[in-house]
Amino acid sequence: MERPLKRLLYFFAVLFLALIVQLSYVQVYAASDLKNHAANTRALDAQMRIERGVITAADGTVVAQNRQEGGYFLREYPLGELLAPWLGYNSLRYGRSGVERVYNPELTGETDELTARSLLDILTDKPKRGADLQLTVDLAVQRAAVEGLGERKGAVVALDPRTGQVLAMASWPRYDPNQLDERWEELNQDADRPLLNRALQGLYPPGSSFKPVVAAAALAEGLFTPESTFTDEGRYVAGGFPVTNYGGNTYGEHDLTTALAKSINTTFAKIGVALDEQLLAYARAFGFEKELPLPLESAVSKLPEPSQIDTAHLAQIAFGQGQLLATPFQMALVASGIANGGRVMNPYIVEQVTDFHGSVIEQAQPSVWLTPVSPSVAGQVAEMMVQVVERGTGTQAALPGVRVAGKTGTAEVGEGGDHAWFIGFAPADDPRVAVAVLVENAGGGGSVAAPVARAVLEAGLAR
Amino acid sequence: MSPRNRELLFLLPAVLVTTIGFATIYIREAERLEWASLSYGGIFLGLFGLVHVAERFLASQADPYLLPITALLSSLGIMMIYRLNPDLALQQAVWLLVGLGVFVFVLIVARPLARLASYKYLLGLAGIGLLLFTVLFGREVYGARLWVRVAGIGFQPPEFAKLFLVVFFAAYLADVRELLAVSTRRILGIAFPPLKYLGPLLALWGLALALMIFLRDLGTSLLFFGALLALMYVATSRLLYVVVGTGLFAGGATVLYQLFPHVQRRVDVWLDPWADVQDAGYQIVQSLFALAEGGLTGRGLGQGFLITPSGRTLIPALETDFIFSAIGEELGLAGAVGIVLLFFIFVWRGLRIALASSDDFVRLLSAGLTAIFGLQAFLILGGVIKLIPLTGITLPFVSYGGSSIVANFALLALLLRASHEATRQEEARLEAAVRGPAPENPVVVGPPAGGLRGLRTEGRGT
Repeated sequence: MERPLKRLLYFFAVLFLALIVQLSYVQVYAASDLKNHAANTRALDAQMRIERGVITAADGTVVAQNRQEGGYFLREYPLGELLAPWLGYNSLRYGRSGVERVYNPELTGETDELTARSLLDILTDKPKRGADLQLTVDLAVQRAAVEGLGERKGAVVALDPRTGQVLAMASWPRYDPNQLDERWEELNQDADRPLLNRALQGLYPPGSSFKPVVAAAALAEGLFTPESTFTDEGRYVAGGFPVTNYGGNTYGEHDLTTALAKSINTTFAKIGVALDEQLLAYARAFGFEKELPLPLESAVSKLPEPSQIDTAHLAQIAFGQGQLLATPFQMALVASGIANGGRVMNPYIVEQVTDFHGSVIEQAQPSVWLTPVSPSVAGQVAEMMVQVVERGTGTQAALPGVRVAGKTGTAEVGEGGDHAWFIGFAPADDPRVAVAVLVENAGGGGSVAAPVARAVLEAGLAR
Repeated sequence: MSPRNRELLFLLPAVLVTTIGFATIYIREAERLEWASLSYGGIFLGLFGLVHVAERFLASQADPYLLPITALLSSLGIMMIYRLNPDLALQQAVWLLVGLGVFVFVLIVARPLARLASYKYLLGLAGIGLLLFTVLFGREVYGARLWVRVAGIGFQPPEFAKLFLVVFFAAYLADVRELLAVSTRRILGIAFPPLKYLGPLLALWGLALALMIFLRDLGTSLLFFGALLALMYVATSRLLYVVVGTGLFAGGATVLYQLFPHVQRRVDVWLDPWADVQDAGYQIVQSLFALAEGGLTGRGLGQGFLITPSGRTLIPALETDFIFSAIGEELGLAGAVGIVLLFFIFVWRGLRIALASSDDFVRLLSAGLTAIFGLQAFLILGGVIKLIPLTGITLPFVSYGGSSIVANFALLALLLRASHEATRQEEARLEAAVRGPAPENPVVVGPPAGGLRGLRTEGRGT
């Protein structure tokens, strides 16, 4: 009976070896395919079990919280559409965007500092929870921006020029992050792209709202002073291309301050030609062609290729046309750089990150991002911009009892009508809020964008 | 080292694994569990210690590895059940206690094992009776009718029937094996043994099978078939039985497949579980997902996605048939292969006992018990990892289930008793050989250079 017993043992050896081979196949070789299989809900499941941190506005109002259903945590946004450009969304099916995406490690408690702490929590019997975020958003300013923009395509950005603290970001068309899953198809197929945050991701020709950069460059280079005089004949030919003024106006003899106040294209074209390549250098110094120092998804504001620059191009760029493209956020940084004595602060959207125990693990520290011009140049440009609001194209941005500085822009686009721009800040002598407003295909900056900016500045000054 | 001291030494890893395991689960699930759980490992192995002491009196020369393997398997099982459902783990602990009691009881009554052989027809009838009883009073769970409720306690009679029937077949074959090995007539050129001796065997075989068909349980019928084929082969050394038996089974399986949509579905799901991942293929697909999640080293005890937030297990029958998937997820390939190897070592030791036995009945009994145990482990392990079609049987010692635990402890007791007797017989033979050839038992075996002690513990070493 010995041979059959031995054969029986070999038979079992083969059976159990087959088990080990199949196990290795399933657990190692095929594992990643199985993990990514559409029917495998484990990854989603893991995400849904995490109690994400709560997000609050600057005043402590809760703007993103959790609702518990069974053992799952579902995300809720009490203010609905209002903060969509900030928060983004957190969808189990469609992923994340905005703060929910960028701060996901903190919100889920997966950063290094937080894991160290959760190990302690395990030992001390504490349930796991993500860290809380306090945004820099001022809800009054945000509401002014959203309501001012209304149901017009465009974007509004407001920040504190002294610190870089972002106060408001609005974008329309917008969406309600509470209903993202239900409306995903519709939102995603909409040609107007409501999921896009136009404040950071929209690229537009800045038009005349770019002129403060040109003025600052001219002053800083010592080519002109605010009192330098120019003569406008309604038409200026640069490199074979004629430049005319908005509305076909002719202004005659005037100084640089008036050129900015009345937004005289021919004069700025001449300055641009005089600045030559320095014009582009100053645009870069204000943040063009640079990644915005913000963690959110953003577009880089564009300048033309250096090889394409000729006299005609320089003239066009000088009044914000040509191949110049800027995000509304970038233009808000231009305004706040001039407001803050020539120092562009690093913008930030999160004031602090607090862990489950209430201790602060990350606190925003204001810091300088760029220094394009000196305080005296910035002061001169600011004074010129006050004239824009007091006696120029931007009178509709004026606030009673406050000196408002600003610049309108009416950018020509191929079709669909001009984009209306306004950038500015207030109070001009000690700026506490800077703003950029863009309304797509809406007409003149002075009539369309300036009133929105006024409402936002007013809310910002009431802080 | 004596077999029992060796056994005690090998119980230590089981103590370690159990203590670390329970501590891990406690740390992970502290909100749900109590501090007392940390002592469970100690209590659990204290019980194995007591059984070990009983063994010192009742089967002192038995194989030293089987009890530690059993302890490891049961501790991994109860740990996993505890992690999935602490209430069930408490019941499992009670069943473990009963199982260890039955283990000692079997060691006491099955002394000597030959006593069992004399009750072979009674035991065979008891086995059939248990199956019949299940057919008549059984309740259907997951398509198979295996459960019977007596006095409020549910149990699975087929788990016990398999023991009784293996004892019967071993005893019967021990009596007639020589006659079966001799062919007296030829049919179609193939030599067949006298039908007279084959008859009762075939009758019982057919009856067991028929009952299995009524129970609609593919897994258990496959077990019986496999174990019987193995026994016939060991008893007669004739592969013919294996060939004919496999043919019979293949024919039967084809008929079953045609007749029962239940069986058809099982096979179809095995061939392509991805066709219906939400319903028919759900269990096996989820099992594969669990294994994939585990990867090489597993997610760690208590850290798998085995329990949905509503408190249900992600895979139906996770604590019973699919316990191995849970182990695969939390302990990874390392843990899963470890379990497979433990079962293989069990089978290896079991067959060594059969080899070492000089008594036909003891030899066939240990071979049969080992075969049925190994097959059961293979069928369910292979089923949940999609190597073979899934059949609803328990993983011995690991799965939740009172009947399974108790029946397998009885099986272990019989094996250890067989081992003890085999060693004793060997010793007696060697002593006789040393003293000089006894006239009535003329075996000439010279002691090897290693001396007698080595032989005693290692068996005959073939």
